Amino acid sequence: MKRFGPLCVFAILCVLAFLTIFPFIWMLSNSFSSESNVFRMPPSLWPDLLGKAAMWDNYKSILREFHFGRYSLNSLFISGASGIGQVLTCSLAGFVFAVMKFRGKNLIFTALLLTLMIPPQVTIIPEFFIVMKLNWLDSYLPLIVPSFLVGSFGTFMFKEFYENIPSSLVDAAVIDGAKPFAMYARVYLPESGPQATTLFIITFMNSWNDLLRPILYISKDKMQTVTMALTQFQSQYSAKWNLLLAGGVLSVLPLLLIFIFLQRFVIQSSMSSGIKG
Amino acid sequence: MAPWVLLLPTIVGLVVFRIIPVGGSFYLAFTDWNLLRDPSFVGLENFREALDNPAFLQVVSNTVMFSLLYVAGVMVIGLMLAVLVNRKMRGTSFFRAAFYMPVVTSAVAVGIVWSWILSPNHGVANAVLQAFGITAPYWLGDPAFALPTVAFIQVWKMSGYYMILFLAGLQDIPESVKEAALVDGANSRQQFFRITLPMLSPTTFFVLTVAIIDSFKNFELIYAMTRGGPQNATNTLVYDVYLNAFVHYRMGYASAVGYILLAGVALLTYMNFRIKKRWVTPNF
Repeated sequence: MKRFGPLCVFAILCVLAFLTIFPFIWMLSNSFSSESNVFRMPPSLWPDLLGKAAMWDNYKSILREFHFGRYSLNSLFISGASGIGQVLTCSLAGFVFAVMKFRGKNLIFTALLLTLMIPPQVTIIPEFFIVMKLNWLDSYLPLIVPSFLVGSFGTFMFKEFYENIPSSLVDAAVIDGAKPFAMYARVYLPESGPQATTLFIITFMNSWNDLLRPILYISKDKMQTVTMALTQFQSQYSAKWNLLLAGGVLSVLPLLLIFIFLQRFVIQSSMSSGIKG
Repeated sequence: MAPWVLLLPTIVGLVVFRIIPVGGSFYLAFTDWNLLRDPSFVGLENFREALDNPAFLQVVSNTVMFSLLYVAGVMVIGLMLAVLVNRKMRGTSFFRAAFYMPVVTSAVAVGIVWSWILSPNHGVANAVLQAFGITAPYWLGDPAFALPTVAFIQVWKMSGYYMILFLAGLQDIPESVKEAALVDGANSRQQFFRITLPMLSPTTFFVLTVAIIDSFKNFELIYAMTRGGPQNATNTLVYDVYLNAFVHYRMGYASAVGYILLAGVALLTYMNFRIKKRWVTPNF
């Protein structure tokens, strides 16, 4: 690669970065356009409402008339609860697999990893039936409870980390006669802050972006998640692109903020996982 | 006693939300069921119907085509991006972050903004092409273009993820080996093809495995962009399960489609590990 001068590499990177970022810029710019400006041909590169009194009209309309504020809060609640659930259950299970010896351990661990490979579409039909029989339709339970119970990737990550915890930390607790759960809560869990943060962020993002389960389990308008609401808005008001794109901006903004401020953890997660969701 | 108590949530979750559904879906694949009546056993009828149906065979070929385009796209572009940002230069951390940005964005938002960009009458993409005198096709409305277009957008969204995976592998290659090659008079192309690529092969294998599994996850993008159309052209196995189960309420048939998908995923994963033995050169 020495043949390319550094300047040439820089130029290629700039072009590629532009192609990557352009759709975001276009979404943002159109969200500050009036309905007539959005449809102008050739497309006007400058949003006509920017800097005017009516600048935030699209956002006001999508937030108030179309309840996107409410949907965002719903998503925040569901994703936050799922993240907490995954951290709790996966750290506990990871601790058990890393530290304790018992019959059937390998069997359960293998089952956990094997089921990770199964696409959700394979299990969704019986899952829907179970959710229906539990009377969980039109509640957030089917979107949150499974996260409090089981997680393959998170358990694997915590197990790997806990297997390498220095024995000096553990020995002191053993001498104090700590029971397993106390060991987990006082020694292991506090040591794994970065793992917990990483898992929380992955779960939060996956849950925020999920579509299949919300569209199956939620039918009450006020209960929709923001990702799901975008698709509903798209099919109902297919011509209101300026509003739809404002909704799009609102739906991606929280995750982009998380990404910008916690980049290290987000990128760490893809290095360590290799498998998402 | 203690380990079982502590593992109780995991075991309950594993059984209720994974093992029972996997088994249940296997049973349902041999039944006719609309969710309201009891399922009635029909033997292999669902599988026979699927394999006799040209529309289903098209779904299979769409799925394969999407996967091929996706895997090739993210591997080539991901590696290219990784090589480009794997250098000590000002601004590389900005570029890495920029390329990763679409990865954290929902497929739904990505699908919506790209539908707008590619819109035949009001889209900026066609306006740009027109300025160069190119008559653009109806990207998402033409059955010949819709599937490659959707695959391209998924590649656009996910390449940054594969960049990070490749980057980790590139950074594991010791500088000393590359320097030795330069001292021996290798030019940069030789260095890339004779040193970097072979030494990267464990990473490449890992990335390939991830990409293949990942290539089936296209439900959200297809739902947001085409809903399987036009004329079944972007209907893939994951979307077909949804369509049959929750639009047509044919739970038995949809389960059979789900199991055909699962068989494909399992076969590919198994083949990967068989090929790995021959392909991957020893790790240094």
